[in-house]
Amino acid sequence: MLAGCNAFAGYPITPATEIAEAMSVNLPRIGGYYMQAEDECAAMHLAIGASLGGMKAMTATSGPGFILYADPYGWAIGCEIPLVVLNSQRVGPVSGITGAPGQGEFYNVRYPTQGGNYETIVLAPNSAQEAMLMTVEAFYLSERFRTPVTILADQLITDGFEDISVPETDEEKKAMGMRFMERKAHPGPEFYPPTDEIDIPPVVLGVGTKALCSDWTPTEEGYDIETVEAQHKHSYRMIYKIRNHKDIISRHETLFLDDEPDIIVVAYGSASRTVKTAVKKAREKGQKIGMIRPISVWPFPDELFQYKAKYLSVELDYDGQMVREVQRAAPGDSEIHFFGKCGELPTVAELHETFDKLLSGEQLSRIGWEREAW
Amino acid sequence: MDKLTDKYLRKRKIPSTACSGCGLGQAHKAMVVAIDELGFDFYDIIWGTSIGCAGRQTFATWKGDNFAGTHGRVYAIARGLRLAIPVEKKLVLTVGDGDAFGIGFNHLLHAARSNAQMTVLVCDNLGYQSTGGQYGWTTPAGVKTDSSPYGMFEPNWVQTEMDILNVLKAAGATFLARHVSMDGRPLVESCKKALQNNGFSLVHCVFPCITNFGKNALGSRNTVNMFNWIKNRAAPLGEEKEDTLWRTGIYHDAINTRPEFSQLMRDKVSEIQRRYQDEGSH
Repeated sequence: MLAGCNAFAGYPITPATEIAEAMSVNLPRIGGYYMQAEDECAAMHLAIGASLGGMKAMTATSGPGFILYADPYGWAIGCEIPLVVLNSQRVGPVSGITGAPGQGEFYNVRYPTQGGNYETIVLAPNSAQEAMLMTVEAFYLSERFRTPVTILADQLITDGFEDISVPETDEEKKAMGMRFMERKAHPGPEFYPPTDEIDIPPVVLGVGTKALCSDWTPTEEGYDIETVEAQHKHSYRMIYKIRNHKDIISRHETLFLDDEPDIIVVAYGSASRTVKTAVKKAREKGQKIGMIRPISVWPFPDELFQYKAKYLSVELDYDGQMVREVQRAAPGDSEIHFFGKCGELPTVAELHETFDKLLSGEQLSRIGWEREAW
Repeated sequence: MDKLTDKYLRKRKIPSTACSGCGLGQAHKAMVVAIDELGFDFYDIIWGTSIGCAGRQTFATWKGDNFAGTHGRVYAIARGLRLAIPVEKKLVLTVGDGDAFGIGFNHLLHAARSNAQMTVLVCDNLGYQSTGGQYGWTTPAGVKTDSSPYGMFEPNWVQTEMDILNVLKAAGATFLARHVSMDGRPLVESCKKALQNNGFSLVHCVFPCITNFGKNALGSRNTVNMFNWIKNRAAPLGEEKEDTLWRTGIYHDAINTRPEFSQLMRDKVSEIQRRYQDEGSH
């Protein structure tokens, strides 16, 4: 609401229901609309409809609902519709464990729809306070890049209780690093320029611009066309408007990277909170351990992985998702390790045991499938 | 049509990319004539379309704003859009039978429930024709298609005892009509009624597909035979014969009797906003 959101479409799902409930209470008080949909697919389409009409719209769900966003997500990417989507990760696959945190959606939010030929923007907060900030940021980025932006949260963030500090004045908002962007309407007729430029206003219907937007590959004006050349131009824009302006999106937190640490622990979201404590305590014991916490997880911050060290990706999943990106981004001769746990956070004690083993060159005590791939 | 094309349509897209002999243009034209006779300007209407023949061939034909949604979801998009656009703008959707009565039926029912203003023209070519001719939810009994090679034996949704328009009526639609594309004036009149409803209207219009339905069901791509085949199986309500498949006319007319979705939302929200502001000022 700080970012000007005035339309929210939801479908009840644990652990994102509270967001819908809160919006149903608060939006009408400022003249905004809460819409409850017949399913998640409809929820995101309702939000898209509101955004196409010029509103700032949002929807929130969890994994089983996010897969139903696949259909509208692709449409919003292709038509370049600004929108904010929140995915609060629980434990999967399928319904899994509803009331516990997971991080199995890491790749799902990178590839939320079919067909390829696009980049996505995903922000992953690790606290309620940061969730507020990143939601405001998501609205900002969605307008500048005219694309849906996903907030990748988890059950602890959306179900947890934490005090937050809400800015009241413009100075306070600025001091917190909040950025804002008003909705503008593209005047036409070239609604889809084949360029990597950002800050091009999106299509808005109902304002007399003779707008065209569709699920088909568009000409620059938005007519449907099936030529390889037009598809190439459109894809170029979908991919490079984001890749070539990554600096505007990128944000992260790093800790103790200045003294060539032996281990660099990588974690995002809720998992990063116990990791941070464990890393700080390990430093107190004299262990040279650093930490990288990507906040913008997509595009993945490859540039942070320039140090030669033993990397340890700590995730709330057993299959190892972000670790694949770490392996890809880290210097070729780096050792890459994985610590996976699901449904609850890793404890500081578990992490310390893992650090000790890695420092002494021992095999990790976790056995079998959890480490063999890495 | 030339006068109407100049006034309302984009020359670049007219004639459309429909197959030679396709009856979609009759349904499309009827809606444009209705719009013209009601005196709307092209800025007054936002035209939405779906996937399939009906959507693809009508997308971007309208001179004003156009959108083409994902398959079956235009009714949900339209509801969201309805909230954001000025109240005086009308939404017109040209969609196919598979889109409305198959993949999008859940969303269609909720659009009817909420009585969101949209005039849905379901252009029904009796199955999935743009994918080569598979049976759909309105394919007549016994008809051979690429996916009903032994004849359509599943029940369809245009039988008297299980008419999809009855389902939509029960779901809250405030205007419902059925026609065949060669109906001419009665089809235009139904479209006009539909457009005058500040609520959910649906006009079901059967049109001939020569390329696939004609070839599969009738064994020929003879346009005149196909047109006659449909025309001879249609009769106005009350004048049905034994072999009538499509009873044409207005099925349900409750226009402007229930609050429209976005109007209801606007009213409720301003009421809540006022109440909250009053409480806040104390």
